[in-house]
Amino acid sequence: MAYMASPILDRELKKGSAELLILSLVEDRPRHGYDIGQLIELRSRGALRFNVASLYPLLYRLEKRGWIRGRWVEKTGQRRRRYYRLTPAGAKILKAQREGWREFVEAIGLITGIQHA
Amino acid sequence: MPDFKAEIRERLSSLSLAPARENEIAEELAQHLEDQYEQAVDRGATEEEARLAVLTQFNETDPLAQSLRRVERRVPQNPIQMGTERKTNMISDLRQDIRYGLRMFLKNPGFTAIAVLALALGIGANSAIFSVVNALLLRPLPYKDPSQLVVIWENAAHLGFPKNTPSPANFLDWQKQSTMFETMAAFAERSFNLTGIGEPERLDGRRVSANLFSLLGVKPILGRTFVPDEDKPGTKVALLNESLWKRRFGSDPNVVGRSLALNGESYTVVGVLPSSVRLPAFGNWRDQVWVPLAFPAEEAAARGNHFLEVIGRMKPGVSLQQARAEMETIAARLAQQYPEHNTRIGSVVNPLHEEIVGNMKPALLILLGAVAFVLLIACANVANLLLARAAARHKEIALRLALGADRRRLTKQLLVESVMLSLFGAGVGLALALAGLRVLTRFIPADVAHAEMITIDGKVMIFTLLVAVVTGLVFGLAPASQATHFNLNDTLKEGGRDSGAGPRGKRLRSALVIAEVAVSFILLIGAGLLINSFMHLRNLDPGFRADHLLALNVDLSETKYPDNPRRVAFFDEVVRRVQALPAVRSVAVAGNLPFTYNGDSMPIGVEGVPDPPPDQHPDVIYRAIGPGYFSTMGIPLVRGRDFTEQDNLDADLAVVVSEKTAKYYWPNADPIGKRLKNGSTTQEGPWRTVIGVVKDVRQNDFIAEPKMQMYFTYRQLKSLMPNALVVRTAVDPLSLATSVRNAIWAVDKDQTVANVDSMEHIVAGAVARQRFSMLLLAIFAGVALVLAAVGIYGVMSYSVAQQTREIGIRMALGAQRGDVLKMTIKQGLRLVGFGLLIGLVVAFILTRVMASLLFGISATDPITFLTISLVLLAVAMLASYIPSVRAMRVDPMVALRYQ
Repeated sequence: MAYMASPILDRELKKGSAELLILSLVEDRPRHGYDIGQLIELRSRGALRFNVASLYPLLYRLEKRGWIRGRWVEKTGQRRRRYYRLTPAGAKILKAQREGWREFVEAIGLITGIQHA
Repeated sequence: MPDFKAEIRERLSSLSLAPARENEIAEELAQHLEDQYEQAVDRGATEEEARLAVLTQFNETDPLAQSLRRVERRVPQNPIQMGTERKTNMISDLRQDIRYGLRMFLKNPGFTAIAVLALALGIGANSAIFSVVNALLLRPLPYKDPSQLVVIWENAAHLGFPKNTPSPANFLDWQKQSTMFETMAAFAERSFNLTGIGEPERLDGRRVSANLFSLLGVKPILGRTFVPDEDKPGTKVALLNESLWKRRFGSDPNVVGRSLALNGESYTVVGVLPSSVRLPAFGNWRDQVWVPLAFPAEEAAARGNHFLEVIGRMKPGVSLQQARAEMETIAARLAQQYPEHNTRIGSVVNPLHEEIVGNMKPALLILLGAVAFVLLIACANVANLLLARAAARHKEIALRLALGADRRRLTKQLLVESVMLSLFGAGVGLALALAGLRVLTRFIPADVAHAEMITIDGKVMIFTLLVAVVTGLVFGLAPASQATHFNLNDTLKEGGRDSGAGPRGKRLRSALVIAEVAVSFILLIGAGLLINSFMHLRNLDPGFRADHLLALNVDLSETKYPDNPRRVAFFDEVVRRVQALPAVRSVAVAGNLPFTYNGDSMPIGVEGVPDPPPDQHPDVIYRAIGPGYFSTMGIPLVRGRDFTEQDNLDADLAVVVSEKTAKYYWPNADPIGKRLKNGSTTQEGPWRTVIGVVKDVRQNDFIAEPKMQMYFTYRQLKSLMPNALVVRTAVDPLSLATSVRNAIWAVDKDQTVANVDSMEHIVAGAVARQRFSMLLLAIFAGVALVLAAVGIYGVMSYSVAQQTREIGIRMALGAQRGDVLKMTIKQGLRLVGFGLLIGLVVAFILTRVMASLLFGISATDPITFLTISLVLLAVAMLASYIPSVRAMRVDPMVALRYQ
């Protein structure tokens, strides 16, 4: 099993940034839940992981807010899956959150001396 | 692959999501878990390891349900209905029940149709008869303060006239001496020949006191009513009936002031009265024209000449008893003052309403009772249907009870269903009633006043609605309570098998059949008695042969034919011309035809017989006729001879008497050659010699015994005029109506010809009332019989079906088909026998109220009772035979497998 962040960091990160992560991942194309979970794990090189019990409630919350929209899609030879895509409202939020996040990271870097990679 | 969906469902269960949403989430999450599972397995984990690894995700601090709860909307729970909330839920409950009921009806269209039809028959019959009762009995007369109006008669019961028409002198004394009455008015029938405008026509009409219409409170449509000044001889003014005004004067608004030729005299029209004015009348007398009574001096003094009818208006606050007491006092005073005419003559004071509708009352009330019985039978039938259906719905009801429905609520719902059924029935019933009334009004006897007022109005609607609701409750209550009271446990254990077959259900059904049989028996007895007495009436000999006999009124004008020679000449010519018509066997001049008029009557003095005292001196009905009357009418001549043309003013005055008269005055002697005179032996006037004796002829109806009669020939009369013609024909008499009329008009083109009718029809009119009640009661009894037969059939089919298994076992054990047949029929007959017994006892008591409608048989006529019992028994036998035969054909193997 991959390395897991400490439980405290894990929760904080999720709370602060999980929405941003998901919105970013469905920005360029619709993805289904498993795909999203895999991508987060993959792109963070295992540092970030969602389990089912937290990923889906988050997806449903974003959907309810109107930032993403899920749709069942059937492809031949496969079982149907629910794909989520970014809505225009979601795109606005994503832009604002990205901006906020960058400012936050920069501020942290300025204080802690950690250079942006 | 483990069932991840189930795992997820379990974790979602506490959320109570909408099922579709729960499905969706489970599907999506399960897919995710399956993907993870497959991945783990691919990496070399065992299935169990993979499963556990996947599921550990749910065991963290933030469990699925908890996170989802913040996001997902939960389905709102149905509010728990507590008993205390009943009031606020009534309307919504009712709406729910109605919707549910409608669904049930649509699901069982056959049941619904039969139930609605049965109820429609029952309720429709009630609405129809009630609308007759409403119009004839309940609606007040169209006059001012009608409750103060009374009819006053002389009471001469000792002479056979308990309600005798008062004489002018007596009426004038009543008017002067009474204090309890605001006013009194008199009137007398009189026919008028209307000439001068188009075809001559004979009109029914009356002479009336000038104050009559103001007494009644009748407002004229045009002009005015009579003024007191016009109530004296010589004033020639007339009032027209609305219908005559429309028919003959084209509703001319300027008719007031026009002059009319009535009986050859000129009258001035002073007003038009609405056609709702109906004075009490005998037969189908319909007033078309009214003139003032205007007593000539000698008429005003006449105390022995009885021809008036009198209406009085009691002063406000005066009771009927007070009015009666005063009239008795006055009558007693007059009896002392004028013993010659008024000895033992009393008075009768009756409310006008009772006089007009009274004779219809017993028949109508009995019919109302009859239709109530029909409705009861319909109720029993529908209750039976509901019971059978309740048995079929047992599982549904048991389930609902088990799920916590409360019994009262369920009972209410079943009652709502039955009331809905009966309301549908009422709707169809009203349509039936409307159609039925159209037929009914055609059979209403012509002399029933205000028959034109019979309609379905608001009152009838309300009555129907009430009947429907009560009906729904009556037939719904037993099945509903039966349906909801049973042992839940047993029913569910039986797997929903029919438990309406339990002893309770069976008892109830049997009771219903017994009741149906009893009630229809009572109705059939009632109808049977009426049919029987109607037959009795029709089989009575009227005293003449009514077939192939044409009768018509020919009222001569007194001004045109003032004396005997001119009248004789006219009739001789008419008789000659009619006799020459093809298909005419014989023709005769007649006066006051039987069954059209009571007949004028007077006492007679007989030579050699002492005059009886005035209060015991009987009247003899007399008629003015022409030669050939007896043979044309078919009245058998018993002794002596008929009148001939030689019996004229130059010959001895002759008279023919009836057998009854002969027996009364000459019980032990040959009456031929004996002499009699008008009034009494001491009275002025010529003697007449008896030349013949004929059979008695009935007067107005078949009920009263024929009175004493005598006949004069009009050729020997100076004042009395014949007013009719009778023609015996070889063909249908009515086919000769036109040619006879033309023959008369060939003699005098202004002569009126009226009431052209076959004698058979006239005689039938005399039993119209009896026919009316008989017909209706017979129809209702027929409906009752059919409904009862259907009811018995239904219950027997049901109980046979219940016994299929038993029958199968019996037959498997060797029972013969005949045995099975006997067994089932016996069951049916036992119920019917019970019903018959109860019906017999009740009918025995109830039919007594019919005594006044019966003729020639007693209310407990054993033959009727026996016949009806047999008829009902036969019908019941048939109704239980059919299902029994079906039972008999049961294949034992099928029967054993049944249920």
